[in-house]
Amino acid sequence: MWEAIQDRETGRIRSNSFANRFKSRRTLSLQLDNRKDFLSPHRGSVNSLQVDLTEGRYLLSGASDGSAAVFDVQRATDYEASGLIAKHKCIFTVDKQHESGHKYAISSAIWYPIDTGLFITGSYDHYIKVWDTNTAQAVVDFKMPGKVYRTAMSSLAMSHTLIATGTEDVQVRLCDIASGAFSHTLSGHRDGVMSVEWSTSSEWVLYTGGCDGAIRFWDIRRAGCFRVLDQSVTQLGVRPPILKHTSVSSKSAKFSSGGQNGLKTLQSKHGGSQNIKGSSSAKTSVEKSRQKRLHPGMLSTLDRATAHYGAVTGLKATNDGMYLLSSGSDSRIRLWDTESGCNTLLNFETGRIQTNKAMQLATSDDPALVFVPCMKTVKAFGMWSGRTTLTFRGHYESVNTCCFNSSDQELYTSGADRQILVWSPGGSTEGEMVQDEVAEDKDDWSD
Amino acid sequence: MSSWNYVVTAHKPTSVTHSCVGNFTSPQELNLIVAKCTRIEIHLLTPQGLQPMLDVPIYGRIATLELFRPHGEAQDFLFIATERYKFCVLQWDSESSELITRAMGDVSDRIGRPTDNGQIGIIDPDCRLIGLHLYDGLFKVIPFDNKGQLKEAFNIRLEELQVLDIKFLFGCAKPTIAVLYQDNKDARHMKTYEVSLKDKDFVEGPWQQNNLDNGADLLIPVPPPHCGVLIIGEETIVYCSPTSLKVIPIRPSITKAYGRVDVDGSRYLLGDHAGLIHLLVITHEKEKVTGLKIELLGETSIASSISYLDNAVVFVGSSYGDSQLVKLNLHPDAKGSYVEVLERYINLGPIVDFCVVDLERQGQGQVVTCSGAFKDGSLRVVRNGIGINEQASVELQGIKGMWSLKSSIDEAFDTFLVVSFISETRILAMNLEDELEETEIEGFLSQVQTLFCHDAVHNQLVQVTSNSVRLVSSTTRELRDEWHAPAGFTVNVATANASQVLLATGGGHLVYLEIGDGKLTEVQHALLEYEVACLDINPIGDNPNYSQLASVGMWTDISVRVFSLPELTLITKEQLGGEIIPRSVLLCAFEGISYLLCALGDGHLLNFQLDTTTGQLKDRKKVSLGTQPITLRTFSSKNATHVFAASDRPTVIYSSNKKLLYSNVNLKEVSHMCPFNSAAFPDSLAIAREGELTIGTIDDIQKLHIRTIPLGEHARRICHQEQTRTFGICSLGNQTNAEESEMHYVRLLDDQTFEFVSTYPLDAFEYGCSILSCSFTDDKNVYYCVGTAYVLPEENEPTKGRILVFIVEDGRLQLIAEKETKGSVYSLNAFNGKLLAAINQKIQLYKWTLRDDGTRELQSECGHHGHILALYVQTRGDFIVVGDLMKSISLLIYKHEEGAIEERARDYNANWMSAVEILDDDIYLGAENNFNLLTVKKNSEGATDEERGRLEVVGEYHLGEFVNRFHHGSLVMRLPDSEIGQIPTVIFGTVNGVIGVIASLPQEQYSFLEKLQSSLRKVIKGVGGLSHEQWRSFNNEKRTAEARNFLDGDLIESFLDLSRNKMEDISKSMNVQVEELCKRVEELTRLH
Repeated sequence: MWEAIQDRETGRIRSNSFANRFKSRRTLSLQLDNRKDFLSPHRGSVNSLQVDLTEGRYLLSGASDGSAAVFDVQRATDYEASGLIAKHKCIFTVDKQHESGHKYAISSAIWYPIDTGLFITGSYDHYIKVWDTNTAQAVVDFKMPGKVYRTAMSSLAMSHTLIATGTEDVQVRLCDIASGAFSHTLSGHRDGVMSVEWSTSSEWVLYTGGCDGAIRFWDIRRAGCFRVLDQSVTQLGVRPPILKHTSVSSKSAKFSSGGQNGLKTLQSKHGGSQNIKGSSSAKTSVEKSRQKRLHPGMLSTLDRATAHYGAVTGLKATNDGMYLLSSGSDSRIRLWDTESGCNTLLNFETGRIQTNKAMQLATSDDPALVFVPCMKTVKAFGMWSGRTTLTFRGHYESVNTCCFNSSDQELYTSGADRQILVWSPGGSTEGEMVQDEVAEDKDDWSD
Repeated sequence: MSSWNYVVTAHKPTSVTHSCVGNFTSPQELNLIVAKCTRIEIHLLTPQGLQPMLDVPIYGRIATLELFRPHGEAQDFLFIATERYKFCVLQWDSESSELITRAMGDVSDRIGRPTDNGQIGIIDPDCRLIGLHLYDGLFKVIPFDNKGQLKEAFNIRLEELQVLDIKFLFGCAKPTIAVLYQDNKDARHMKTYEVSLKDKDFVEGPWQQNNLDNGADLLIPVPPPHCGVLIIGEETIVYCSPTSLKVIPIRPSITKAYGRVDVDGSRYLLGDHAGLIHLLVITHEKEKVTGLKIELLGETSIASSISYLDNAVVFVGSSYGDSQLVKLNLHPDAKGSYVEVLERYINLGPIVDFCVVDLERQGQGQVVTCSGAFKDGSLRVVRNGIGINEQASVELQGIKGMWSLKSSIDEAFDTFLVVSFISETRILAMNLEDELEETEIEGFLSQVQTLFCHDAVHNQLVQVTSNSVRLVSSTTRELRDEWHAPAGFTVNVATANASQVLLATGGGHLVYLEIGDGKLTEVQHALLEYEVACLDINPIGDNPNYSQLASVGMWTDISVRVFSLPELTLITKEQLGGEIIPRSVLLCAFEGISYLLCALGDGHLLNFQLDTTTGQLKDRKKVSLGTQPITLRTFSSKNATHVFAASDRPTVIYSSNKKLLYSNVNLKEVSHMCPFNSAAFPDSLAIAREGELTIGTIDDIQKLHIRTIPLGEHARRICHQEQTRTFGICSLGNQTNAEESEMHYVRLLDDQTFEFVSTYPLDAFEYGCSILSCSFTDDKNVYYCVGTAYVLPEENEPTKGRILVFIVEDGRLQLIAEKETKGSVYSLNAFNGKLLAAINQKIQLYKWTLRDDGTRELQSECGHHGHILALYVQTRGDFIVVGDLMKSISLLIYKHEEGAIEERARDYNANWMSAVEILDDDIYLGAENNFNLLTVKKNSEGATDEERGRLEVVGEYHLGEFVNRFHHGSLVMRLPDSEIGQIPTVIFGTVNGVIGVIASLPQEQYSFLEKLQSSLRKVIKGVGGLSHEQWRSFNNEKRTAEARNFLDGDLIESFLDLSRNKMEDISKSMNVQVEELCKRVEELTRLH
C-alpha cells in the first residue's frame, strides 16, 4: 500500500487507477464483519436492500412482515464490547402498525435517486407507497392490479420521476411521482414481471424480466418494446473476417447456422429479422425497414424469444451501461450485451439458485464482479470469467438480496433468516490489530 | 473566516507529458510542441536552438496531443484531447501569432467505464479519421470528410477489455488499427481491425500476433515502405507485419517513450525507466525487413516523451527530472556515451514533499522541495524575488546618497564610489588589494553633502552640492569649472547625465546647465510656481549622453511635469492626485518603450508610458511597492536595463513581453542603491541599508529563483530543524542494479551547503514514511522523529513500522529512542508536547516519558480507530484533522481530562484525499484524487448531533493538479502593515511541479474579484474554445458541480496581460476604473 501511495505521489500511477486498485483489493478481501452489526427490526424474510445513491450512507430494507427500515451504515448508534463492536440500530421503521403501513410483505424498497428525502416501497398488498423520509409518512400511493414484485427508478433521470413496477400482472406500469398517476402501461410480457431495471446509460430505457422467461427492452418515449433478448443469439461471428465482410448474406447465413434450438424453430418466420437484430447496429436500417410494415406495438407481442427457461428472477445493469445481468429460475446467470442484445454465453458457476422469488443481484466495478444469492450463500463471480471468486457463508436461510456499497466497498446481504449481514474488506488485519492493541495496552499497564 | 479562497500558480507545471514535432507555424518552419499537463508550449527550431513562440494554458489536463495534416493543407494542425473528454483542433494564425480553433467538441459518453490505462487518441496517417479510446470496450471514431472537416463521431464496440495501446497502421487501404491488449488470463496479444466507416463497425484485420512478452506495453507503427508494427516489450522487441516477423531480445527494461528518427521509419529512439536511451534500427534490404538491431546510446533524464528534431538533436521530455535538449554524436565520448546534453529545462515535478523555511532569516519564505524521482531526484530551493549575493560590506551610518564614478568615461569599470552623508562626502575606491579604501578627489568638496554626481564627457566628473556645481577632471582630479547658486538660494535637488545638469533651488527655480570641455554653461532657467520635489534627465533617446526631456515632480500641486531640453519648456503636466508628494522620478526605456516612473512618499509607484517625441503621458498605472518613500535608480544586468526602487521593500522593476513587472529584492530595507561595476566586483550593486554599505551581485532578474541540489537518489520526505540549521530527509537510494534490494535512508543535510552530514540507514524493506522536527514537554531538546514502515513483498499492507527519535549532536544523527508500531507511520505531528502518529487505520498519541535510568521513551497514551487509512494529519490546538485515503476529512478532538481522542465530525462524501491543511479553527482544506480542492466547515452551532457531526462542504474547485502537500507560509516577504500582508496563505506542491498559493481573502475582496472573474470569462476565451467555468467545476466519478468559494487567480491575473481596449471593456462592465482594477490585481500578484 505504501508503495502504491508513493507511486501516486510521483505520478507513476494514475490517481484513478490507484483508487481502482485499492478498491479492488478491498473488494477481494470482503468477509463477514464481526465488528459491525445491523440490528434487524424485521420479523420476516428481508426482500430488498438498497443504499442511497447520493451519500452511500443510508441503507433501506424491506421485509415480508410489511416493514421497511432505514439504517445509517456510517455511524453506529452504540458500541458493545468496549467499543469494538459497532451496533447499527435502524433510524426508523414503517411497519403494519403505522397508520399507512403495508398490510402484506414488502417486496421492494428503493430510494428516490436524487436525494434521501423520499423512498418507495412496493408490497404484496398491491400498493406502491412513496414515503417522506423525514416525517416517515406516506405521501403518494399507487394501487396496482396485483402483487408488486419489484420497483425501480432511474438513477440518471433528469427529466422524469417514474417508478417502473413489475407485478403479478402482465403489464409493466410506470408510476409518476410528480402526478401521482400511471404514465405508461407497457404490454408484451405474457406473465407477471418479477424484475425491472433501468438502463444505466439512458434515462429512457427500461429492462424488464418476466415470469414468461422473456427480457424486454423498452424505450419509454416510443411505443412497444424495442428488443426481446434471445438466449440463442450470441456474439460469435459478429465481426466477419476481412475476406468475407463484403457480403451481408454470408453473415446472416452464418447466424442461422449458429446455436439452434427448439424455441428458435418455433419462430422461424421471424428468423430473418431476429438474426439481423442480433447483429451489429449497422444493420438497424434494414431492421427498421422491415419493422415498418408492422405496427411497432404489435411487433414485439409476436416475439416469443426467451432469455431463460422459466422465470427471470433478477436483472442488474452494469454501471458502465454496456451489459445486463439476468438470473432465472433455471438457475442460470446470463450476461447480455445491451447494445446488440447478444447473449455473451458466459458460463457462471452458479449451482442452484432460488427459483420462486424475485432476487436482487449486485455488481462491483473493481474488480468486475457480480454478487448472486445462491441459496444460503452469496457468491461473487468474475464478470468476464464466470468463475467463483468469493463465497459468502453466513446466512442460515436462503438469501434474497445483496447490495454492494461501492463507496465503502461493503456488501450487505439479507434473506429469509431476517438478518442483514455486513461483509467488509480486510476485517482480519483490523481485527488482529485491535487484539494486539489490547495486548499492548496490558503491557503498558504492567509497567 | 477562510472560506473565500483565491488559488494562484506561483510556478507553472514543468513536467513534460507529451511532445511532438511538425510544421505547425508555417510550412517551412519546424516546431516542437510540448504539453506540460495543463499548458502547451510552441517552440521554433532555429540554428541557435529552440526559440519559444507561445506558452498558453489549456482548460483541461491534456490527455493526448497529436499533430496531423489534413488533405490539401500546407501545414500541420494540432489535435488535443483533455482528460475530461473535450477535444479541439488548433491551427496557427501567423498574422496574430495566436492559436485558432478549427474544431472542438465533447467526446464523453454515458456508456462505458473510463479506461484505467490512460486515454488514447490517435490519428489515421492518411487523415481519414481520429480514433479515441476513452472508455473500456469502446473505440470512438471521428471521421474526416473530404475537405478535412470533422464529421459526427460514433462508437465501435471493442471486445478487448484491457487495452494497453492502440495505433493506426501505415500503408493500409482502409484505416486499420493495431490493438495491444491483455486477456482474462493476463496474456498479451496484438490484433488488428479495419475501421469500416460505412458500417460504423470493425472488420477483423489482416493479421494478429498472440502471446507476446508479458511486459509488452507499447506499439510503434512503422511507416512505408516497410509498414507493420513494432511491439516493445520488457524483454523482447517484435517487428510484425503481414509478411514478416522478427524478434530480438533486449536487456530487461520498461520502455516509456519513443521517438522516430527517419521519415522511412528505419530508426527509433527508445527511452526506458532508468533514463537510458537506445537506438532501435530496422535493418532491411530494399523493402524487405531483415532484422532488428538495438544499441545503447547513453543516459538522459527519465524520458516521458522523445521528439527527434533535426540534425541529431533530440528533445527529451521528462516528468521525473529536468527535460533536456540532447545531441546524439556519431562517436562516443570517454565514457562511451553518444549523448551530449545541450540544454536543460528545469522541472520541479513531482513535488512529493516540501517545507517552507527562512534560511536567510529575512522574513521571506523559501520553499525546499523534494523533486524528481529515482536517479533524477533532487532538492530544489525555490525563492521568490531577487537575491543579492553579498560580496563585501562596511559599517557606515547615515548614508544620504551614493554614486559610482569612472576614472575616465571610456573605462569599462567604475573606480570610485562617492558616499554622501549629512555634512560630508567620502570617496571610496578599490585599492591594489581589492579592498575598498577611502580616497580623495581633490576637486570635490568633501565637507558638505553631495546632492548628485556623475561622470561627464571629456573625462570629467560633476559634483552637485547645495551651493555649487563642480566640474572636475577625472585624470588630474582638479577642479576645472564651478557654477555657484545665486546668493540666497541653495540647491535642493539636482540630477545630471554625462553632458547635462538640471538642478532646482529654493523658490521653484529650475536651472539647466550643459557640460562642455572644462566648462559649465547655464543654458536655461525657469521659474516654477511651486517647489521642486524631484527631477530626472536620464537619457532615453538615441544619444546615451544627452536627454531631450526632463521630468520634474512638484510640491504643493502634486504633479509631475515633462519639460523639453534645452528650452526648458513645459510639455506635459500630470496631476498625481492625493496628498503625497512625488519623491523620485525617472525616465527609462524597456524593450523599446519609454516610461516615466514616479515614486511617491507613501511607497506607491505611478508609471506612465511616455511618448518621447511629443512628451505625452498615457496608460497611467499605480502600484504599491512599500510604505516608505522610494528612490528610483537604473542599473543594468546581463545587458538589460532595470530599475531599482529602494525603500522599505526594495523592488526591481523590469519588463517582460512589454509589460512592467515588479520583483522584490530579498533585502529588508534599502535606503540607496547605485550600480558599482568595479574590476574586483563586476556587475555589482552598492546598497546602503541599516547602517551598512553592502556590495553584492544580483541574481538573474526573474520572479522565481530555483536552485537545484542534485541528490542522485529519491528524496521523499523533508523537514527543517531551525535550531540545528539542518534538513532531515527520508530518501530512497538509487539502485544500481535490479538484484539489489532498495535501500532507504534518513539523511541529515546542512541547510546552507546542502551537503549530507549524517546518514542513518534503515533496515531492509524499511521505508521512511514521515519525518518531523519537534520537541516534547519537559525536555528542551529538539528531535527529529521519523516514521517508517516495513514493506514486505508478501504483505498487502504494512503490519510493522517504527518511530525513530533522533537528536542532532555535533552534526550527527543519534538515535535516542525507537518505538515499534503495528503498521506504517503515514504521518507524524507535534501535538501538545506529545507525538501524534497516524498508523494505518489508527491515530495514536505518544507521550515522551523519562525512565528510571534517565533515558527517554515513547509511551502510547491513547488512540482513535475508524479510518480506512489515516494518511494525512494536521493539528491545531486540541483539534486533529485527518485526511483519509478514501473517506474524506474527519475532525477529531483530544480530551485532556479523559486522555482520549474522539471523533467530533466528518465529511461523509467519499473523497480520496491526497493532502489536508487547517485554514483556521473552523475551515479545513483538502485536495483529492480527482484533482479537486475542497474546503469543509465545522458546524459547532448545529442544532442536532447529526448536524454537528457533519463537516459541511463549503468550497469546491477543480485544480487540475494532483496536490501532494499543503503548508502554511508564503513565498514573499510579508509586510505586516500592508493589506496584502494580512492575508493568510497556504502553499501547495503538485506532481507536475506546480507550486501554488491559496490565499484566504476578506469577503469584500472576494466578491469584487468574483465579479472580475466572471467578466474575464467573457473576454478571455480558452484555447480551443474550452470553457473556463466547466474546467474549474468540481468533478469526480459521481458528480460535477460548479466551483464555489474558490477563485482562479491565474485567470484574474491575466487581466494585466490584456490590451487596453479589453481592459476598458471590463472596466465598463464592472463599473470600476481601469487604474483601480490594475492596482487591485497587481496587489494580488504580490501574493506569490
